[in-house]
Amino acid sequence: MTTTAVRTVAPVSRGRARQYAGLVAAAAVVLALAAVSMFVGVSDVSLPALLAGDPAAVDIFWISRVPRTLAVILAGMSVAVAGLIMQLMARNRFVEPSTVGTVESATLGILVVTVAIPTAPILLRMGVASVFAVIGTALFLAILRRLPTRNTLLIPLVGIMLGGVIAAVTTFFAYRFDLLQTLSNWMIGDFSGVLRGRYELLWIVAALMLVGLLAADRFTVAGMGEDFTTNLGLNYNRTMRLGLVIVSLISAVVVTTVGAVPFLGLVVPNIVSLLFGDNLRRAVPWTAVFGAGFVLVCDILGRTIRYPYEVPVGMVMAVVGAILFLVLILRKRNA
Amino acid sequence: MKKKLSSYLGALAAGAALLSMTACGGSATATPASEAAAGITVEHAQGSTANVPVNPEKVFTFDLGVLDTLDALGVEPAGVPEASYPASLSKYADAKYEKIGSLKEPDFEAVSAGAPDLIIISGRTAGAYEELSKIAPTIDLSIDAASPMESFKDQTKKLGAIFNKTAEVDAKLAGVDATIAATKAKAADAGKGLIVLTSGGEVTAYGAGSRFGLIHDVLGVPTAADVKADGSHGESVSFEYIKQVNPDLLYVINRDTAIGSEAAGANPVLDNELVRSTNAAKNNKIISLDPAAWYIVGYGLNNVEAMVNAVADSVA
Repeated sequence: MTTTAVRTVAPVSRGRARQYAGLVAAAAVVLALAAVSMFVGVSDVSLPALLAGDPAAVDIFWISRVPRTLAVILAGMSVAVAGLIMQLMARNRFVEPSTVGTVESATLGILVVTVAIPTAPILLRMGVASVFAVIGTALFLAILRRLPTRNTLLIPLVGIMLGGVIAAVTTFFAYRFDLLQTLSNWMIGDFSGVLRGRYELLWIVAALMLVGLLAADRFTVAGMGEDFTTNLGLNYNRTMRLGLVIVSLISAVVVTTVGAVPFLGLVVPNIVSLLFGDNLRRAVPWTAVFGAGFVLVCDILGRTIRYPYEVPVGMVMAVVGAILFLVLILRKRNA
Repeated sequence: MKKKLSSYLGALAAGAALLSMTACGGSATATPASEAAAGITVEHAQGSTANVPVNPEKVFTFDLGVLDTLDALGVEPAGVPEASYPASLSKYADAKYEKIGSLKEPDFEAVSAGAPDLIIISGRTAGAYEELSKIAPTIDLSIDAASPMESFKDQTKKLGAIFNKTAEVDAKLAGVDATIAATKAKAADAGKGLIVLTSGGEVTAYGAGSRFGLIHDVLGVPTAADVKADGSHGESVSFEYIKQVNPDLLYVINRDTAIGSEAAGANPVLDNELVRSTNAAKNNKIISLDPAAWYIVGYGLNNVEAMVNAVADSVA
């Protein structure tokens, strides 16, 4: 669907140089946003105060601001990359972990732990959520393999239906156990609870994302089907398993630490594709950078719209993401 | 998972059986209702209901606050919602009290089959007023968040009139008033308070005029921050906000324990460096409010007494 995307006609070497320059510029913008993010908050933290070593400001900076900014960047990058991997594996631009049942399964996992062991430590929650996410995603991929056609719209529809069924089961049990409100807290991503000591597990997803980035080409090949993959000398099942585990773990860890971040895995890879075409080598770093930037902007907005109160980042993202996506699609059609 | 499901199916079957049993019972008890003397007219949140019987035999209520008041007055309703009952009302979980839906959703068939003489609803079930009125006289005793205490007294007096317990109600309310006055006197100098609710690892703050505003509005604990008044939903805040507001008294309602039967222990959500540096933490004034009392039951005759006493202890 994106084969008509903008293509640079410049010679390869010049194009590549320009692309690197662009990427460096984009990374600089993200760093600037990160800097802004570190100075937005309820407490008084200013650069002069920090440099002067004001203990109160330094404390807040290290306890609250730096962890939050890091959490936003880590979650933003990894969820966007997870979306990209999912799209490569399903060979469809309309799927992402929150539309194929991965996030819903992870949430069901958290619910099961919460009901069974209310005092479960976060690592156990994450573990169970990950197992559920793997099962849910595997189920989607298994259904996908049995679909008679690879219709562009059928695949996301199947994913949405599967996600809907899992979400319905989750909602039913949440309702039964009076956990509906708690459930909605998990389903709406929110960084307001992030502090030093409460986000570090997100570094796990950074490592996973790196593996995913390095193996991105393989997922493209695996997306072409088992025979094709085997012909190219790649172990199909192993590649699919790797992708499955990476996407599921990223989703599960992010949902347990900050909640679901909607749209990200769908919007960012699509924007990258609209802007730079379907060259995967090019898309992968851009996806990570855009993902981080997108969530940073939304979180800064969420913290300032109703200052000193917060609007959960998940809500801001749903609105901003939808608008951004519409604008891009409409502009492309006019061009 | 499978086991859970099958147990639910079992419960469903049992529920169906119960339903058919109560249906027979309903027709048997229909006669005394018609014999009741002409009723009184009760003004309530959704208008006035003319034919409210005095001392009705079979009362259904969806509101745990009303249930708490009836319990305090020695009146036993016949139908109550399916809910996780707090300790003070735990006897109503028993199957001998007909289960007539959830806290928010009436089971119209069960209500209809039960043929009650009076149905009492409140904010959570206010939307079902029309439907329920068709089944039996229905009154909506919602608490007005703008002036909860007056509203509560008003509703309680109405219940007193309906059940011929005016004297008991007046005595009880006078007792509550006395505790409020005593608390108010001490609260003025006890420092500034902030009310927060924790749920799923996140924190929302509530101010004067909110559903927990009783603490500021009625009991006179000064506010540490001017959190926008809003009936039932708080404002999402960060821990930085709590540190910045630096309350002397931090009132905490842990929603995650409101539902389970687990005893509320230390709240892991608030156990962090920022909250620990507030005056409230330093002076050991982080007050865990009983979530069932504040979040689920709300304004009931015994419960208000318990809520007022909890705040009174915190400023003592």
